[in-house]
Amino acid sequence: MADSNGSNGKLTRRALIAGAGAGGLGAALAAPVLGQRLIREGVIDLGLPGGPSERSLTPAFPGKGEMIVQRIRPPLLETPMKVFDDATITPNDRFFVRWNWDMPTAVNAAAHRVAVGGAVKQPVSLTLDDIASAGEHVEVTAINQCAGNGRGLSDPRVTGTQWGNGAMGCARWTGVRLKDVLAKAGVGAGATRVRFAGLDVPLTDGAPQFIKSIPMDIAMRDDVLVAWGMNGEPLPLLHGYPLRIVVPGWFSTYWVKMLSTIEVLTGEDDSYYVAKSYRMPAAQITPEDEDFDTVAITAMPPRAFITSHADGDMVKRGKPLTLRGIAMGGDAALARVDLVGGGRELPCELGPDEGQFAFRSWTVTIPEVTAELSGIGVRAANAGGGVQPVALNWNPSGYARNVIERITLRAQ
Amino acid sequence: MRYGLILLALTLTACDRAPQVSFADTSITLPDDPLDLPDLPGRNAVVENCTACHSPSTMLQQPKVSAEKWESIIGKMVETYKAPVDPQAVPAIVDYMVAVQAEQAEGQE
Repeated sequence: MADSNGSNGKLTRRALIAGAGAGGLGAALAAPVLGQRLIREGVIDLGLPGGPSERSLTPAFPGKGEMIVQRIRPPLLETPMKVFDDATITPNDRFFVRWNWDMPTAVNAAAHRVAVGGAVKQPVSLTLDDIASAGEHVEVTAINQCAGNGRGLSDPRVTGTQWGNGAMGCARWTGVRLKDVLAKAGVGAGATRVRFAGLDVPLTDGAPQFIKSIPMDIAMRDDVLVAWGMNGEPLPLLHGYPLRIVVPGWFSTYWVKMLSTIEVLTGEDDSYYVAKSYRMPAAQITPEDEDFDTVAITAMPPRAFITSHADGDMVKRGKPLTLRGIAMGGDAALARVDLVGGGRELPCELGPDEGQFAFRSWTVTIPEVTAELSGIGVRAANAGGGVQPVALNWNPSGYARNVIERITLRAQ
Repeated sequence: MRYGLILLALTLTACDRAPQVSFADTSITLPDDPLDLPDLPGRNAVVENCTACHSPSTMLQQPKVSAEKWESIIGKMVETYKAPVDPQAVPAIVDYMVAVQAEQAEGQE
């Protein structure tokens, strides 16, 4: 489908009508999914308040296992929560996929160039080999999470991609430091930000390209990468082959895929996806508020999830109960995870530390289940003092959700 | 699908020498959307004005919102994303989305 709009990527009314066809998909295989209800073969219920809550599961995307379909074109694919119960590293074939504009479906590696320009001493056009030899090869384990992860759980609901909590994943990213690539051109005087663009371009004339920038101090960090490797494999095309930006601790919107341009800025970034979109209220608002200042979404807050049990599951009365799941510190190391709810507060035991930007497993045992466990959840805190709030930080675009996620377990 | 890139001996230690990674041409074929738009009045207006940029799935998964909200969403598509929507088709698109959501809400009861 992505190819049907012509090689220049621009949309005409004819292409618009021709693009409306539908094809067939093979039946998806059903599998038990924890944290979410599998309601029939190939269909999952994400538990979105007020619905519509049912989503298809499909293995039809190249290189992907069974994924929750939020949109076929451009692809928006969500990871089932079951995957997070299996491991703290998310396999490439189950990693969530998100494209703003139609994605290119082919990359010519020999012809690919990364232009480094703007406020630099000498603009350069780098081949992939130039990038790979720009500096030390570095591996960082880091969570990549969509700014809108969990938007579909907002209450009151907001429009946009109706993600459950599966628009996140943790991988080992391999590449060179962005600062080493910048050094090929030499950062010029007065540099304030570094902006990235990829091969994905708007279908329509005059629409904003998906370009994003980060401040200079973030760009020069030792763990901010131009990456080509994902979990020891080449970046799959769906994840931005041949190169993507990696900004550990920051939301995925900055991790520009199919990197083709690096631009050093000397002022603020007034481009659409920085100045107008991917922003949230500067202070807490209510759904009735209309005029408020906004700030760009940048660093991630801490979050934790129960992956061993789903809302409404039955557990044994009179027995101990062990819960398990994953947690993240966000832009700072995870400090602790506590089981909370129903007057209970129990510290969880943390699993192996795979780096401050990685998922960390946790377990906790309730000595004896005496009654229904109503509204229990896990609360993560990070080393920077960030703690998950009891109440939703509601905002009109459903960004940066990190309210404590709660479930109720029935006892029998 | 084809993966052309081979990662060789990746290392965490310093290696400012020749590239140890090779890149090659890569391509994939994406599936079509099996989801069809429900057959309600205004469907043609949606097919002709909306589905070239995005397949039906996202449209059909939104929380129930008012006709005014659908109108503002279409306005954003036109003004911000420069979607070539026929202005005369807007009322039909709005009516269609409201009808789809009413049908979805009924199905949930």
